[in-house]
Amino acid sequence: MKTIFEYEEHTTGHVYDIDDKEKKGEDILTGLPKDLIRKELPLPNVSEVTVVRHYTNISRMNFGVDIGFYPLGSCTMKYNPKINEDIARLDGFKDLHPLSPESCIQGSLQLMWEFEQDLKKITGMDAFSLQPAAGAQGELLGIMIAKAFYKQKNEKRTKIIIPDSAHGTNPASAGMCKFETITIPSDSRGNMDIYKFKELLKHDVALVMLTNPNTLGLFEEKILEISDLAHSNGSFMYCDGANMNALLGISRPSDQGFDMIHLNLHKTFSTPHGGGGPGAGTVGVKSFLEDYLPPPRVIKQDDKFTLDHSKRKSMGRIRYSYGNFGMLVRAYCYIKSWGTDIRRVSEHAILNANYLLSLLKDDYELPYNRICAHEFVLSSKKFGDKSALNIAKRLMDYGFHPPTIYFPLIVREALMIEPTETESKEALDRFSVALRSIAREIKENPNIVKGAPYTKSIGRLDEVAAARKPNLRWITSSRPDEKKDRGGLAIIR
Amino acid sequence: MDYIPTIKNDREEMLKQIGVRSINDLIVDFKPHFNEKLDLSKPMSELELVEHMTSLSQKNKILKYFIGGGSYNHYIPSAVNHLLMRGEFLTGYTPYQAEMNQGTLHAMYEFQSFICLLTGMDVANASMYEGSSALAEAVLVSSSYNGRNCVFVKDGLNPQYMEVLKTYCEAADLKFSNEIDENTTCVIAQNPDFYGNIEDLQYISEQAHRTGAIFITCIVEPTSLAILQPPGNYGADIVVGEGQSFGIPVNFGGPYLGFMGVRDFLLKKIPGRICGMTTDSNGNKGFVLTFQAREQHIRRERATSNITTNVALMALASTIYLALMGRQGLINVAKISYSRAHLLHNKLMSSGFKAMNKNPFYNEFLMKAPEGSSENISSNLLKNGILGGINLAEDKILICCTEMNTVQDIESFISLAKEAIVK
Repeated sequence: MKTIFEYEEHTTGHVYDIDDKEKKGEDILTGLPKDLIRKELPLPNVSEVTVVRHYTNISRMNFGVDIGFYPLGSCTMKYNPKINEDIARLDGFKDLHPLSPESCIQGSLQLMWEFEQDLKKITGMDAFSLQPAAGAQGELLGIMIAKAFYKQKNEKRTKIIIPDSAHGTNPASAGMCKFETITIPSDSRGNMDIYKFKELLKHDVALVMLTNPNTLGLFEEKILEISDLAHSNGSFMYCDGANMNALLGISRPSDQGFDMIHLNLHKTFSTPHGGGGPGAGTVGVKSFLEDYLPPPRVIKQDDKFTLDHSKRKSMGRIRYSYGNFGMLVRAYCYIKSWGTDIRRVSEHAILNANYLLSLLKDDYELPYNRICAHEFVLSSKKFGDKSALNIAKRLMDYGFHPPTIYFPLIVREALMIEPTETESKEALDRFSVALRSIAREIKENPNIVKGAPYTKSIGRLDEVAAARKPNLRWITSSRPDEKKDRGGLAIIR
Repeated sequence: MDYIPTIKNDREEMLKQIGVRSINDLIVDFKPHFNEKLDLSKPMSELELVEHMTSLSQKNKILKYFIGGGSYNHYIPSAVNHLLMRGEFLTGYTPYQAEMNQGTLHAMYEFQSFICLLTGMDVANASMYEGSSALAEAVLVSSSYNGRNCVFVKDGLNPQYMEVLKTYCEAADLKFSNEIDENTTCVIAQNPDFYGNIEDLQYISEQAHRTGAIFITCIVEPTSLAILQPPGNYGADIVVGEGQSFGIPVNFGGPYLGFMGVRDFLLKKIPGRICGMTTDSNGNKGFVLTFQAREQHIRRERATSNITTNVALMALASTIYLALMGRQGLINVAKISYSRAHLLHNKLMSSGFKAMNKNPFYNEFLMKAPEGSSENISSNLLKNGILGGINLAEDKILICCTEMNTVQDIESFISLAKEAIVK
C-alpha cells in the first residue's frame, strides 16, 4: 500500500473556493506581514474517491471485535453496540459547543449527572469526576488527590505501594507526581504478599494501588485485611478499575475498602477502543475526598443542572472542558440498556473465562491454580523462550487476535486471555482448538510456528530494525536528498 | 438490551466442563459480596433507548457559533465519518500485534507525517488526549530533558490550558516564573494566542534558546497552520496543541485530539505511541510501534509519561480530513475563516465597537462593546439562536468565525448587536 502522500494530484471541493466566492482575484491576506505567512504547504491534494479507497483498503489490513475474537487480556475487548455510535452522533450531542450557556446544555448536564449516580451505585463510591480522558489519566488524578490531601494536612508521605503484578501505568503515574514506588511481590496464590506488605507499610506511604481482580485474573483474597492495615496506617486505598468487568453487581470496590477508583469506560462500559482510544477514565472517591475532585462539577438544583466552577481543595482542572463527553454518552447508553440486569455481564465474563481456562489448562501451564475471574494467565514456558510471541503470531493464521503476551511481568512466557461475556461457547471452543493445535505444532513442526504469520497483509515485522533505523514520517519530494533515502519505501508490499 | 450470546443449554455444558454447579460457585472468592440488586433503572430496549436519548439530546440547544476559545466549528466532509465507522478501525485496539493491525499503524504513520509537515517538526507521536494536557506533558518533556524546574508562560495562553498546566506542574513539583533565565526549563507561547493575535515569536524563541530553555509553541486552532509559518521556522523545539479543528465535531468538549511534534534531539523524551516503518521477513515494508522503551509498560516508574490509551480514532479522523481537504481545501478553510472574521471585525468597528487586538489576528478577535452593552448584546444574539462569543471583563467580547459563519449570518450578527447597544 502507498501512503496518502504518493497519489496523483487532483483538486478537491469540500468548501467553497475562496477566489470565486469571496474576493475575486484579490489576496485576502493583505493584512498579514509577509514573514508571518507560510511559503508552501506540502500536503497532498487528491480526489475524494482516492481518499475513500485508500482508507477503506488500509482498514482491511486491520482486525477488530467486529471481525472476530479479540481476547487481549486486560483490555476487555467486548462487542460495542452499534446504536450507541448513532446516539453519540445525534446533533444535540456532537454539535454542542462546550462554552454554550447553561440554559443550552441541560441535556448534557443531566446525562453527566445521571451517569455519575449510576457509577456511584455500581462502585459504592460517593462522588465521581468524569474528566479523565483514559485510565492512566484517572490514576494520575487519583495520585494528585492524595498529594493535595497530604500537603494540606501537612503530612510528608512520599511513597506508593504497588504489587509486582501491576499495570505499568501505576508506577508511571506515581513517577509523574514525584512519588517513589515500593513494589511488593506476589505470593504463591497470586495475591499480594501480605507479610512483605506489612513490613514495608510505613508512615511515609500515601497510597496502596491495587488492581482487583488483579492482572493475573485473581481476586485478592486478603483485600479486607490489606485495606484495614492501609487505613490504620493513614494511607489510602486506590483501585485500578481496569478489571471492573468482573465485579458489576457482584462486589463493590468501596466495600472492599477502596477510597478511590478509576473506571475505564472503554473496557467495562463498551465504548469502542478505536485502535487506541479515545477512552475515558472516570474517577470515583469516598465522600471525604469529594472536595479534591477537579472543577467544574455538575450540580442538580431542583430540576435544573448547573456547573460548579469552584476549585475547593483540588489541584485543579486536568483537561480542557468536561471530559470525553462522546464516550460518556456511549457508556451511559450501555448502562441504561442493561439497567438492573447488569450483573449478568460480569457473571458471563467470569463463566467464559473459566470455561476457556478449563479447555486449555492441560496443554499450557497454569501458574496459579485457582478459579479465575474475567481473565486468566497461562504460561508457555515449557515450549521454550519466545514461545509466547511465536504462539501469538501463529494464532493470527487461525483467524484470532492474540492474547496479551509477556504481561504480567511475573509470569514467564505469559499469555493473558480475556474472552469477555460477548463471546459464544462456539467461539471459545474454536479458540481452544486453535491453541491446542498450535501446542501440537510446536512439538511436531516448530518452524511453522516460528515463521508465522503467513496469512496477513504482511509477514513477521522486524521491530529491532524499526528502532535502529527510524523512519517515523513521510518526507516530501520537495527535499530530494531525503527522498533518495526514504522515497523508495513507498510501496509496502 | 442483552449483548450476551450464551444460551441456557450452553451455560449448563460450560459449568459442567468447569466442574461447578452454578455461576455462584465461581465467585466465592469475591468478598465482600454485594447481595442486593443494583438500584439502576429498568433495562431498556434499543427503541426505548433511542426515544430516551433523543429527548435528552433535544434538551440541548444547538446555536450558530461565533465562539471558539478552544473548540472550533469547522465543516467536516461526509466521508470522514463513513470511514471512521468501519468496524475494522473502530473496534480494534492499540496495535501491539503489528501484523494484525497494519491499518491503524499505516494511518498513524500518515498522521505523524501530517503533523510534521504542518508544524515543521522532525518527529510526532501518534496522539495525546487533547491540547491542554498535551501542553502539560510537553513541559514534563522539557524538564526531563534539561533538569530545570521553572516554567515561563507568555501572555495570551487559553485560560483553561493555563489551569491544566498549573495542575500538572503542582503535581510534578514545577514552578512558574516571570523571568527567562538559567532556571527556566521551557518558554511557552500560544500562536495565534487566546485573543486571536498572530505573534512574531522569533525574538522570544531566541531568548529561550540563549538560556538553554526549550521553546514550546502551542497551537489551539490548527487550521491557522495552513497559512501561517510553521513553528519550526521560528525556532520551536516542541509544537503541541489541539487538532479538533481537523474533522472532529465540537462534541461538548471531547473526545478531541492532542498532538505533539518535537525536534530530533527530543525523540527519546516524547510521551506516547510512535509508529515507524520497517520490513517483514521477506523484505516487504510495514509498520510497527517503536521506541517503546520510553513507555510505561517497559520503563514503569521511569517512563517518559503514563499515557497509554490516547485518541487513535481522532487522529485517524484528522488524517482522513487532511487527506480529503488537501492542500487547496485547507488553505481555503483558513482563508475563509480569516476573511469572515475580518469582515465581522470591520463591520463591528463601524458600528461603535472598539478593536482590541494589538497584532494582526487570524479567526478570533477581541472587541470592546459600547460601554455597558456586552451582556445585552449577547442575550439578544442568544435569543435569536446565535452564540456571540466569550464575554470577558469590561465589555470585551472574544469573537470567532470559521467557514461555517455565512456572510448572511454575519449581517444578522451585526444588526442584532446594533439594536442591543445600550445608549
